[in-house]
Formats: sequence, C-alpha cells, structure tokens
Amino acid sequence: MSKQINLTLKVWRQNRGEEGKFETYEAKNIDTDASFLEMLDVVNDELTLKGIEPIAFEHDCREGICGCCGSTVNGKTHGSHERTTLCQLHMRHFEDGQNVVIEPFRATAFPVIKDLIVDRSGLDEIIAEGGYVSVKTGNAPEASTTPIKKEMAEAAMDAAECIGCGACVAACPNGSAMLFTSAKVSQYALLPQGHPERAQRVKNMVAKMDELGFGNCSNEYECAVSCPKGIDVKNIARLNREFIKANLGKN
Amino acid sequence: MSIKTSILSSIGQKLLLATSGLIMFLLFLIPHMGGNVLFLFGPDMFNSYAHHLHQLVPIVIGIELLMLTSISVHMIMAFRVVLANRKAADKRHTLKSSKERSLAARLMPVSGIMIFIFIVKHLLDFKFYEKAKTTLHGVETYDVYAMVLSRFQGDPVHLVFYVLFMVAVGFHLSHALQSSIQTYGIYVPREGSKIKLISAVVGWGMAATFAIIPIFAFIK
Repeated sequence: MSKQINLTLKVWRQNRGEEGKFETYEAKNIDTDASFLEMLDVVNDELTLKGIEPIAFEHDCREGICGCCGSTVNGKTHGSHERTTLCQLHMRHFEDGQNVVIEPFRATAFPVIKDLIVDRSGLDEIIAEGGYVSVKTGNAPEASTTPIKKEMAEAAMDAAECIGCGACVAACPNGSAMLFTSAKVSQYALLPQGHPERAQRVKNMVAKMDELGFGNCSNEYECAVSCPKGIDVKNIARLNREFIKANLGKN
Repeated sequence: MSIKTSILSSIGQKLLLATSGLIMFLLFLIPHMGGNVLFLFGPDMFNSYAHHLHQLVPIVIGIELLMLTSISVHMIMAFRVVLANRKAADKRHTLKSSKERSLAARLMPVSGIMIFIFIVKHLLDFKFYEKAKTTLHGVETYDVYAMVLSRFQGDPVHLVFYVLFMVAVGFHLSHALQSSIQTYGIYVPREGSKIKLISAVVGWGMAATFAIIPIFAFIK
C-alpha cells in the first residue's frame, strides 16, 4: 500500500562558474510509490508555482539503463541502495519527516553545469580514445564464424553492463575513473574482435584518463560498492594487466 | 605513448610505488626481522649475527644503496599520487565512505610518513651510534646486544615510541601487500579474499614481531 510522506530536502544549487550552496525545500505529500526523480518533479512543480527556479537534474530513460541520472543522496552515490540508479530508487525507502541531502556527483573532472547536473563528457573522451572496435562494416557475419567461450562472453557482457553514470568517480576517494575505464577496456580485451587494437586501446584510454585529471586507484573498492550495475574490481585488475602487457609489447 | 609517459601514467606510477615497496619488504624487512628475532636468543647469538653481517660488507652496502633508491622512488611516487588524488577529489560536502574502505587504506599517507620518521630515528639510534666492543669466541666484535639493551632499559618513552611506530608498520603493510598485488593485475576480490587475509596476517605479524624486541629489551 502506498502512502504519502513529507521530507525536508537540502539541495545543492549552483550556476556554472559561480559558487554553489545548499538550499532547503520541503517535499510535501510524496507518494511512496514514486521514484526519487518523480519526487524531484513534484518539488519542482511547487517551486515553479512559487516563482523559484526549479532544481536542474539530469535524466533520460528512468529505467536504470541510460546512465543519465545520478546524484549523491545522503552521502551515497545514487542513494543507499546497492545496484540501483537514482531513477530506480523509490520513496518507500525513506521515512516520513526524513532529511534528505542531495549533492551532485563530485570530482574535479566533473565540473558542475547547473545544480545537480555535472559535465561527465570526460568519460566520453576516454571512450573516444579506443572504447570501440574499428571493424569493416558490411553484412553481418555468420554468427558462429568466431567461436567465443561462454565464460568469456559472459565476463565481457558483465563489463559491458557499465552505463557510464560516473558514480564510481564520485564515490572514489581519489576521483578516479579506473572502474569505468577498466570496464570498457575489459569488454574488448575479453572478445576476439577487440584483440587487434588491444595494446593501443589500453595505453590511449589510460593516457586520456590521466590527462583529464581523474585520480589514481588506491584499491579501496568504493567504486564497486557504488556501482549501480555491479561492475567488479576484477576489471581493474584486468586493466592493470592489459596496461603492463601493452607496455611490455606482449599484446 | 612513450615509455616515459607510460611510467609517469597513473598505473605506471603505482607500479613503481608497488615495486619499490615490495623490494623493501622482501630484501630489507624480512631479513631484518629474521636478524632481530635472534636478539631473543641471547647476546652470543645476536652478536654473532651482527659479526657475520659485518663480514658481508660489500653485499650490505649494495643492499643499502638499493634501499636508498627504493625509499626515494617510493616516497616521490607516493607524494605525486596522493597530491594528484587530493586534487582530483575536491570539494565534496556530503560523501560518506562505505565499510569497504579500510582504516589501513585510509591511513596509508599518515602511516607512510610515520614510518619515514621512524627510519630516521632508528638509524640515529643504532646505526650511527657508538658501539662498545666485546669478545666472542676469542674474536673482538661490537656488542650490539648491550647497545639494544641500553637503549630501552629504563626508558619507557623510547619503548612506547617504538611500539607505536610498529603499529604504523602494521597498518601500512596490511593494505600495501594486497594493494600491490591488485596493481600487478592479480585480482583481489572485495569479499572473502585469501590475499586480503594473508596480507593482514603477514603485515600485523611482522609488526608484532618487530615490536617484541624493544619490549623484551625493556623488561629484561
């Protein structure tokens, strides 16, 4: 049975290039069946009626698969539920009268665009350095031409689950993009189609990651805890391996 | 990407950090611990060990130079990595750590600096300190056993200093060992990892073994 709850929100408000600060708003009569983003929609409607600029937040599919949404809620990326994006976090997990603090995903490499929206294009830049396979296009090949072991295919799919939301960067004590980059490197390193460009890919993606000011991995695994898709630090070990092999000329 | 940029990349620097640390662990900490334990077996054993070590001077100097290089590389890389990390994770107001993040991991820079202070103090205490002579099986040699005793007996402050800094060694090693393994590309799982367990046991076991020596010297 759904019910209605009231919450006190402390939300980060900021315009690009200006100093930001937390503002307090009341979220009234929120249906516990609503998602976190729907709660923000309700609050924004009220703010608009009061003549206050609505809270800017990023969203697209609201099905947990696009990677657009995400904020730090009460100190946890995407809120406190494991393997859940913010759009899939429901208000039934909150208590009536609770204080909810909402901060954008923070990292020096993620400058704030407005309020809760941050510029995560750094992740796209890392992808542009090699997160793809340059194959000849044409007719789709016969499905069984390239045999792939089931375990390899599954491990590649696990890595490919990454939606690039940036929670790992925001949760990492060092603002590192190692989990993201490792997932992208892994999904190609595990499949034969990715092998021709393997060495170049890992070197270029790591170089771009460093250039953009993401931090270093200190193996504290906060990233894996924060990941809404359950990307494992096994991928980071694989990224390190790929990097070592690439520099030893073994790929 | 040239070799230079690879070495100074985030992963390259961490590999240097891990390798210099492992060199110090394998070629210095383990033999040093083995030697120290002989203190518990009395003056003849300990002085004989020191005497034999002095016979191997060329090797000892070689190891000392290697340690000096390793500690320099280790500290330079650690400073670079930590400063870059501080810069990359700026202005967070509400982020909370999960239980995943161990105290040992969090304290790495602090325990590292403590260990450096300790090394300086330790060298002043024992290496650059005038030693009395004694005779062992008719051969004149340094009485390092008496020196260790004299440095701790009746000096609880000195004892507490040594034991406290061994706690820093325990913290540092318990994270360092498993973290370096993951950096080399060997998967260390989040939960139920044998590598994490072994790392903690070896790290704290080593720190405890080192701490026994000053405690033994103090109460003897």
